[in-house]
Amino acid sequence: MLILFLAMYSWNQRTRALDDLAAEIGLELAGAVLKPLRSLQDSGQDMWDRYFDLVAVREENEDLKQRVNELEAKLLANGEDMAELKRLRALIQLPVDQSWRPLGARVLAGRMGPNAVLDSITISRGYSTGGRPGTPIVTHQGLVGRVLKASAHSAIALLLTDPGSRIAVFAQETRAPGILTGHGTGQPMEVNFVQRAARVHEGEILITSGLDGKYPKGIPVAKVLSVAPSDYTQFMAIKAEPLVDLHHLEEVLLLEPTGIAPPPDLGAPPKEIHGPPAPARPGS
Amino acid sequence: MSALRDILWWLCFLAVAVGIQAAVPGLDVMAVGLIILLQERDYKNMLWLLPAFILLQEGMGTRVFGGVIVWYAAVIMLFRMGRWLFEAENFLFIFLLSACMGGAYYAVAWLMAPLQDLPFNTHDILDKSLIQAIFIPFAWKLLVATRRGKGHVSES
Repeated sequence: MLILFLAMYSWNQRTRALDDLAAEIGLELAGAVLKPLRSLQDSGQDMWDRYFDLVAVREENEDLKQRVNELEAKLLANGEDMAELKRLRALIQLPVDQSWRPLGARVLAGRMGPNAVLDSITISRGYSTGGRPGTPIVTHQGLVGRVLKASAHSAIALLLTDPGSRIAVFAQETRAPGILTGHGTGQPMEVNFVQRAARVHEGEILITSGLDGKYPKGIPVAKVLSVAPSDYTQFMAIKAEPLVDLHHLEEVLLLEPTGIAPPPDLGAPPKEIHGPPAPARPGS
Repeated sequence: MSALRDILWWLCFLAVAVGIQAAVPGLDVMAVGLIILLQERDYKNMLWLLPAFILLQEGMGTRVFGGVIVWYAAVIMLFRMGRWLFEAENFLFIFLLSACMGGAYYAVAWLMAPLQDLPFNTHDILDKSLIQAIFIPFAWKLLVATRRGKGHVSES
């Protein structure tokens, strides 16, 4: 039995046939069960919000009105900054990357079962609906991770906090490049290979550099928590935390590669900063 | 319990198990179903349920295929060893079995981590093993209560 198991294990390591079968059947079935369960949960939540939570609504309304006033004032103040940002973008020719198409997806669950050992989430899109393995996942706050494995209509995404996650990043202001590495849920991430001369500071935002060819350039990823010269290497020891609250994800955006090149008037950026080529469509 | 009712019961069990596993990371609810199948010596249903359990767990998981097979093999082995000493439906037996299964859960994670070059977080796995061990007796009691029509095979 042991020899049989080891033979099966080695064969699957090489061909991934059983992994594909398990994803195709197991993940698809789990997704099919979870989608109606999530709908039921939403209905229950809606009822609760509409009928039982009215007490807090008036107070919340007052708060929100005040907040809207504050935000309108801020918006007016930031108008000039926005104009400047547009000018600067045009100036430095940041690629407005049309090679990625955003697709909304629902988060169905976190880790499921004894075999789910990586920091991951299950989402409601699979390879037939835009969630192919490798597809980057973002929210309006920043990067979440990428699709690890997929069935036809569900997929498992690896979060950027997983110890196996490596993302090529830049510091937004100092433009210092580095590799962002996860250290597990709740643990600060580490930015490796940042030169000692780089003047990265606490609170600086890290954005994807696109140099790894896996993520589009310019997506905010994390905020620097601490910067110090490393005791062991010739680089800086930088800790960072994700911008996205990974514990409370409900909806995410998948960035599907379209294969469309950026518009020529923006200037053709170096080839490597764009995403992977669009995967071949079945039947094409 | 008629065959159709039995199949419906197992389908409901699978749906509930997936729902609970989505709420409690790392927990294996289907292992309780496997214990019930072994207690009832229901090999006919085990023929389709065990592959279904394995495919579901492997599909939902992020490890390379194989870990769940080792884990369920450990569950079956522990059950058969325990049945030599105890009556299969005895709560004490289930209690001891769940404690051993908690240990097996930890051992499988420890075994598979270097094989697949995965990080092994001792505290995290220990917590999950404990949750698994505590969960089994209560889930078993509840599930057996819903299967009163089914004759459990008692064996010393």
